[in-house]
Amino acid sequence: MLELKGIGKSFPGVKALDDITLTFKPGEVHALMGENGAGKSTLMKIITGVYKPDEGQVYLDGSEMHFKNYRDAVDHEISMVSQEIQVISEATVAENIVLDRLDRFGRYGVVNWKKVNETAAQYLGMVGLKLDPTQKIGGLTAAQKQLIQIAKALSCNAKYILLDEPTSSLTGYETKTLLEIVRKLKRDQVGVIFISHKIEEVLEVCDKVSVLRDGKFVGTRDCGNSERSDIVRMMIGRKEDMAHKGFLTVGEEKVLEAKDITVYGQFDHVNMDLRKGEILGLSGLVGSGRTEFVRLLIGIDKMDEGEVYVNGKRAQIHSLQDALDKYRIGYVTENRKEEGLILDNTVGFNLTIGIWKRLASKIHRIQTKEEQRLVGDMIRKMEVKTPDEKTKVSSLSGGNQQKISIGKWLAAQCDILIIDEPTVGVDIGAKEYIHNLIWDLADKEHKSIILISSDMPELISLSRRILVFNDQKIVGEINNLNERELSYAEVSEKIGEYLA
Amino acid sequence: MKEKSVQETGAKKSGKWKAVFARSEVTVLLAVVVLSICFAAMSDGFFTAYNLFNISRTASIYVFIALAQGIVCVVGGMNVSLGSMGGLIVVFIGYAMQNLGVGIFPAILIGLGTGVAAGFLNGMIITKLKLNAFVVTLATSFIFAGLVSGISRGYSYTEIADNFDFVGRSGLFGIPMLLIIALITIAFLIYMFRYTTLGRRLLATGGNQEAARMSGINSERMIVTANIMSGLFTAIAALLWVSKAGSAQPSTGSDWMIISFAVTAIGGTALAGGVFNGLGMLFAAFLLVMVKNGLVAINANVYYEETYLGLILLFAVSLESIKAIINAHNRKNRLKKQQLEK
Repeated sequence: MLELKGIGKSFPGVKALDDITLTFKPGEVHALMGENGAGKSTLMKIITGVYKPDEGQVYLDGSEMHFKNYRDAVDHEISMVSQEIQVISEATVAENIVLDRLDRFGRYGVVNWKKVNETAAQYLGMVGLKLDPTQKIGGLTAAQKQLIQIAKALSCNAKYILLDEPTSSLTGYETKTLLEIVRKLKRDQVGVIFISHKIEEVLEVCDKVSVLRDGKFVGTRDCGNSERSDIVRMMIGRKEDMAHKGFLTVGEEKVLEAKDITVYGQFDHVNMDLRKGEILGLSGLVGSGRTEFVRLLIGIDKMDEGEVYVNGKRAQIHSLQDALDKYRIGYVTENRKEEGLILDNTVGFNLTIGIWKRLASKIHRIQTKEEQRLVGDMIRKMEVKTPDEKTKVSSLSGGNQQKISIGKWLAAQCDILIIDEPTVGVDIGAKEYIHNLIWDLADKEHKSIILISSDMPELISLSRRILVFNDQKIVGEINNLNERELSYAEVSEKIGEYLA
Repeated sequence: MKEKSVQETGAKKSGKWKAVFARSEVTVLLAVVVLSICFAAMSDGFFTAYNLFNISRTASIYVFIALAQGIVCVVGGMNVSLGSMGGLIVVFIGYAMQNLGVGIFPAILIGLGTGVAAGFLNGMIITKLKLNAFVVTLATSFIFAGLVSGISRGYSYTEIADNFDFVGRSGLFGIPMLLIIALITIAFLIYMFRYTTLGRRLLATGGNQEAARMSGINSERMIVTANIMSGLFTAIAALLWVSKAGSAQPSTGSDWMIISFAVTAIGGTALAGGVFNGLGMLFAAFLLVMVKNGLVAINANVYYEETYLGLILLFAVSLESIKAIINAHNRKNRLKKQQLEK
């Protein structure tokens, strides 16, 4: 048995895992589910020795383990297949499978290739791949590579295998093959820990499902007698209710309207509208299409068909630059580090990036005095904790970085603001500040806001209308939030129903 | 919290001077001063008006060669074709003047036009086909190099228009014209990167191309623009080279690629992008020329010249890493001390 007892892990400003106790048995497929940031990956890294827990212990067959690193975990027959495909394209299938143990196949540093290829062939057979072990891995499909990674995990004679979203890069048929292998592992008395966002496949292949939320353990269910809706409810949860914010004065006019948005193979004639002064919430699990959809509207990604109207007029948006300059639409990305900020540049630089053109005089000189005044105002207004405006953004905390990521669009005086996961990886103080800010933008300044969030209390307390996304479609709408005060439980219940 | 306050008060005391010395252009300037003193002490020929005039002229051209590299480094790219691009421009000017008999101004226009076109070509291939700048410019460098030898057959063009050497060989109050042009250009670029939308957008693109795009900047256009400017600076370097030499030699540019990277890196313009250091590049250009010149002046074994240059370059690029290692070491010690005090 692989047991976790009272595991806790903190990162600066965030408690990533809190008192997690779980048991994994050989011959059992145990699913681990939870929204982004729930702590699944951190937990996997603790099991495989990549991170050390701050609290709690890991027991393997009754004895306490202190893995020094991943290699140490592998030596104890625990192995992991990560979500990203990690193979060496230029090496052969066999080399990829035994790569980290090549030294065991031979003597005096000379590899016995015959033995390597035989061993590889044996494990390829186990995962049902009919491939030549001496073939290079380069031209294979994503599914084949994923299966080779699993063969690699098997070849370590692992008693426990951790699969992190193994089907995310696979198509329907390939997924079936993979699930078949999981069943076979179970018959061979291997313990499988199966991370996935897809509830259907979890219910299909797993024995048990455990759910994490905000780093806490929510519960474990037998898959045999669980419904999709139960698990969704456990994932989105009934966390502490946030105070009701009141009602918004929503205008009649549609400031943004999307008609028949289509991307072949993904979105099929999806419609949406946003009214003046409204906060429209987009709900849905990861991969449901909520972020992908708004990215189409503002020209970050290209749609195949469909029309966008801003203030009733047909809008030509080919890039985010068009969205910002022509229509004053801003987009606060969910990945502030990769897409939101120039980390190695200053606070001031990042805050004014969208308005340099507006700050420039006739001879194209940016009015630095005006710029400094604006930056100073913004730092004060947003309560950004920074020594000065010349500080590099990379040296600030997550919460302050997020304030800058939002602040640059406020500086640009956007009328329509799309805010994606505004409080991921942000401490509690900054979180509350950002919630009040979003509300005030709509309430006091009549900005129109689309809020995308996995955080249910946040979404429900701020939004006055909610669209529910599932499988690249809008499957439901909750539109009476601005008419009467609905309890948190009522709304989350409804969203859960739409998702299930 | 306690640790932070200790850090802050410590930083405030010595902060100002530390900040000045931490700037890479100050480091390079110090190196230039120290080297000049050494060379002047060791040789009579070094610190003469004639020699300094010469050093300044070469350094000024190095400035343009380095700017051609630096401007694409700013957006996170590189241009390994600028040497053969320079050669091609020189050959075009020479051919135009010798074989077609054009005058000074048409020749200058041909040179600048060739540079702009070549840079535009690089930029378009990089952005439209989404290819790596290194691979693209490596390929075009062969294309340009082939054109150079194909057109010139290796012969120099010596029938250069009269007065074409005016800029390259004359001076104003004893200051070479070339240096004046280089200084004006650097001043303009410093202004551009600090105060104009274009400059800032170039920096943002190099700092994080995706974030720049997601902030409403057309980062592809910025990359093309940087490549055009790279071609333009290469063309200016080529024109000045012909003006200084008085003839158009097809071998021009063979060492430009190395020089451009050396000056850019020593001068503190990060090859990874997002940073421009104009003064640093100016001083670095002088440093490089002085090392070459000074070694001759002190009768050092010039066969090893490239080894000395390589060592200087290696030292310059590792300076940041060395600083980081020392800082990490100091921080560890401080934390250890604090823990012991507890």
